[in-house]
Amino acid sequence: MKNRAGFVVAWCLILFFLGFRVPVAQAAADPYTEEMASTSESNGMEAIADPLEPMNRFFFEFNDRLYFWVLKPVSTGYSYVVAEDVRMSIRDFFYNLLAPVRIVNSLLQGKVKNSATELGRFVINSTVGVVGFGDPATNEFGLPRRDEDLGQTLGVYGIGDGFYICWPILGPSSLRDTVGLVGDSFLDPVSYLMAADFAAGAAVYSGSEVNKTSLTLGDYEEFKEAAFDPYLALRDAYQQYRRNKIKDGNGAPDSSLYKEKRDED
Amino acid sequence: MRFPWKVLVIGLNLLFLLSAMGGRAVAAPAEPLAVVKQAVDEILSILQDKKFSGAAKKEERWKRISVVVENYFDFEEISMRTLAQAWKERTPAERKQFVGLFRQLLERTYINKVDNYCHEQGVACVGKVVNFKRQEIQGDKAVVYTSFVRDNVETPVEYKLQNESGRWMVYDVVIEGVSLVRNYRSQFKSILAREQFGGLLAKMEEKVKKGEPMEGAPK
Repeated sequence: MKNRAGFVVAWCLILFFLGFRVPVAQAAADPYTEEMASTSESNGMEAIADPLEPMNRFFFEFNDRLYFWVLKPVSTGYSYVVAEDVRMSIRDFFYNLLAPVRIVNSLLQGKVKNSATELGRFVINSTVGVVGFGDPATNEFGLPRRDEDLGQTLGVYGIGDGFYICWPILGPSSLRDTVGLVGDSFLDPVSYLMAADFAAGAAVYSGSEVNKTSLTLGDYEEFKEAAFDPYLALRDAYQQYRRNKIKDGNGAPDSSLYKEKRDED
Repeated sequence: MRFPWKVLVIGLNLLFLLSAMGGRAVAAPAEPLAVVKQAVDEILSILQDKKFSGAAKKEERWKRISVVVENYFDFEEISMRTLAQAWKERTPAERKQFVGLFRQLLERTYINKVDNYCHEQGVACVGKVVNFKRQEIQGDKAVVYTSFVRDNVETPVEYKLQNESGRWMVYDVVIEGVSLVRNYRSQFKSILAREQFGGLLAKMEEKVKKGEPMEGAPK
């Protein structure tokens, strides 16, 4: 009798969670929509507007030089001194620090379950993961990462890119995502530090960028090498990347598969 | 004389097996996911093969990989989709020239990428880096979802395939939502607007020459 009650409760729980899943499943778009008109020009999305192109190209060049003259040499030197797993931990620490941005934006997009998952990740990684330096939430608990920010939330609300902006230092963005960036900064501890003590905040920001870059050295070079016009390639890649983030992609990380792979290690 | 039952049984089994295999080959071509997995496995096995390891064997290694790539990637379809409207205005000879150049460029860029990555990772580059997730088929089109793990960060990679008389061929690769075909299309469009088709071909030839990885490679 007791077993039966447990069974019923389990079924109710399963149905409850399935109920949450349904809207997510509906959101998965038809992957073929932009495939059919293969030789027509007006297929899929329009290219992002770029009324500021001359200025954007200037800042693109500026960022390019900043990378080759400053960021790359510093990150390379840093990567020799600091072990890779330490750098991965530091990257995870800064990623964990931005959990409030993801929690709030998941809620704003009505993704209640994802918001709870992100809160769970934040709690686990801040405690078991030693203030965010580890990522047991992904590795041990199988809670997948889901990037959300205000730019995506505005996109979900139906607001378009506006136009393309290439910011110095910050890199590619759009009008919508710039508004999002400003909004998200209210949930970013580093921006509060920057407001209180600009030099300290800037130092922390640079440090986190150097650390991140040290793990992806060579990526930018390869990207540039593959491109005919790196400025246009980046602009289009940014637009496609953000569009995919807003619709939460089709190939979202599958936590169970990911865990299976990790267990084999 | 005893009847050779054994021979009969074996013979019947063989017959059944052959007919089953033959029937399958006609009725059900390899699934898209299996095709992509096969392609990735073949490439990884070349990268792992000790016979072709080291910088000295780079040319040999690349040649073998490019043979595999051409079995699974339809470069004409990729070129057509990339040039879009401009493809229609080209003569067959121009199209052929474009496909050849674009194929060389894509192979050079992406084989180099995989090659560098596997060599920096050593032997560990097989199996652990690529996850094959699922496939979706709709008529003669399919999408295979995979992902790539580096430094504990998972990057989704989608392969788009088309059924070409019983064979699934890749015509686009989408990394983190960024379609390769669309990305090149946006660049080619602006080059074509400024420098026409001749200018684009010149740019491609220059790029191919600049970084030719294998001396004396077959054209």
